[in-house]
Amino acid sequence: MNPTPTVFLTDDDPAIRDAVGLLLRANGLAVETFASAVDFLESDAVQRPGCLLLDVRMPGMSGLDLQKRLQEMSCRTPIIFMTGHGDVPMAIRAMKAGAFDFVEKPFQAQALLDRLHEALALDAQERRRQARRNEVAARMALLSPREREVMERVVAGQYNKVIAADLGISISTVEIHRKRVMEKLQAASLSEMIQMLALVGDE
Amino acid sequence: MKLDHRVYPALFSLLYIATGLLWLLLDDLALTVWLGGAAPALLPAVMKNAGFMLVTGGLLYGLLRAQVHTTQRTRRQHEAIEEQLRCARDELDNRVQERTAELLAINQTLERQIATRIQMEFALRDSEERFRQLAEHIREVFWVYGIVEERILYVSPAYEEIWGRPVHGFHDRPLDWLEAVHPDDRLRIQEAHVDKHRLGHFDVEYRIVRPDGAIRWIWDRGFPVRDETHQIYRIAGLAEDITARRLAEDQLRRQQVDLARMSRLSLAVELASNLAHELNQPLAAIVAYTQTCLTLLRQGHTDPRELMGTFEEVINQGLRVGEIIRHLRTLVRRQAAIQTPLDINDLIRAVIHYAQLELRQARIDLRLELAESLPKALADDLQVQLVVLYLIRNAIEAMSQMPEGSRQLTIHTFLSGADWLLVTIHDTGHGLSPEAAERLFQPFFTTKPGGMGLSLSVSRSIIEAQGGQLWAKPNPEGGVSFYFTLPVYLTAYTA
Repeated sequence: MNPTPTVFLTDDDPAIRDAVGLLLRANGLAVETFASAVDFLESDAVQRPGCLLLDVRMPGMSGLDLQKRLQEMSCRTPIIFMTGHGDVPMAIRAMKAGAFDFVEKPFQAQALLDRLHEALALDAQERRRQARRNEVAARMALLSPREREVMERVVAGQYNKVIAADLGISISTVEIHRKRVMEKLQAASLSEMIQMLALVGDE
Repeated sequence: MKLDHRVYPALFSLLYIATGLLWLLLDDLALTVWLGGAAPALLPAVMKNAGFMLVTGGLLYGLLRAQVHTTQRTRRQHEAIEEQLRCARDELDNRVQERTAELLAINQTLERQIATRIQMEFALRDSEERFRQLAEHIREVFWVYGIVEERILYVSPAYEEIWGRPVHGFHDRPLDWLEAVHPDDRLRIQEAHVDKHRLGHFDVEYRIVRPDGAIRWIWDRGFPVRDETHQIYRIAGLAEDITARRLAEDQLRRQQVDLARMSRLSLAVELASNLAHELNQPLAAIVAYTQTCLTLLRQGHTDPRELMGTFEEVINQGLRVGEIIRHLRTLVRRQAAIQTPLDINDLIRAVIHYAQLELRQARIDLRLELAESLPKALADDLQVQLVVLYLIRNAIEAMSQMPEGSRQLTIHTFLSGADWLLVTIHDTGHGLSPEAAERLFQPFFTTKPGGMGLSLSVSRSIIEAQGGQLWAKPNPEGGVSFYFTLPVYLTAYTA
């Protein structure tokens, strides 16, 4: 249940879809092509791992419109824009709006492939982080309110004695809570627990 | 009690006689007789006295009577004269009154006549005054030219200001004004002057050189003045200093040229940008295809024959690039338009033939009203065809929302003046908003969802490159008419 990272190639020009599709497949990448932004939005590709190779200038919904739409949907699939020579202002807008990169048509295969691999790696990493974040969040949901209080103070670097005084409980009780927190979060050490919390805290 | 005047003499006479007799009866002698009874001798004396009394009494009566008569006659005469006098006076009075009335009437008439006369005089003086005020204070030079006299009869003082020459110069040298005309314009003005004699009309613009060397633009126009027999005997005219307007027009024209150049430039920029995209697509495909082939060949486990399809795609994309460039060339060729004599009617028929299918599909009723025996136009055949096609397509699209049966496209051709052919393309479509009419010919302006908004601005550029003009006007009954002009191929026409 871990689908192959795919390049989602979206361009209104069938020749580009065909040629670039062939090129990427010849270089060992999984490719799916879409003739318009709407086709892409309506597919399940939005959810799947991969990256988007997107033409800036398309009739109907343009590449920039699609980028905006995906951001509204909190879809983090990295986008590489394909632009022409006259489209530099559009490319700048796309980059400002958070695009991964842009390539000018016609492009060098290797440069494109390099950027695509980077984008796919970023997506994979992002997805892993997301998966881990989800996992940690699920484990944290198991903590009781008291355990959560203790955990927050431990992470903040307070001594057990101080925590006990703060919460009005005995030091041994604090130690029991601490142990249970480590068990529930499946953290091997204090530093791992801190990392987990940092990950969730990003959200 | 009134007694007749004639009674008085008789009364007086009788009274006199009675008194005399009484005195005689009572005198001494009579008493003696009466008392004495004797003395008959005395009786004759008494009778003699009594006789005397009677005679004198008779004489007195006669006298008095005569006197009364005379008096009475005189009085009657007086009265008669007075009566006559009175009558005469009355008559005189009447006559005088009548005469006075007559005189009054005459007087009134005269007064009226005088008043009218005075009014007329005033009016005349007023109109003269007004004329003078007008002629002498308008900025334009007012002039009157006598055909028979062959010279300027009147010229208003503004002449001195505009021409910088004295008005009285005309008296000495009737052609003074012509000497002031700029040498480059002089011949033309002389010709116009000759025509002026013939037609009575005069409408020219020319330059004058003032004595101080300054050049001014003059708009001079004259109108015929006819006598009772309807013969032109004078020409009245106005000459106006239009230097400022002329300068403004020149400036405007320069600005328009700049603007046209700029809009063509922005058109070129937009075309270039579109073109870059259009060319990049097949180029990117070609590069990607060949890189694919290279990759596969390098990997070494692909049969080269499997790549044939890919190479064919490379060829197709290469041809696509060629197609785009060819299309571009026809678009850009207006830079070096090849102008040849062409028959505009034939050209329109050819385009209609080409667009026939489109017209039929759009259910448009086409009417051609092409003028017979038009001279040829001098223009680029292909480009004008393109314009006609654009305008027909524009009309088709404009009428696509109209109910069937009301879609009518009318194409007229005319000769406009001697030098221009005018083509109108008239539709019954949705018309134009004022805002749209203004921006119609700007590049990238369109009211159509799918349009690029270039065809009308390109059309205008094409027609202007031929020396003509293209414009549009909403029709009062709905829809739009597009007009364009093309120059007549003159040598062909006159030959």
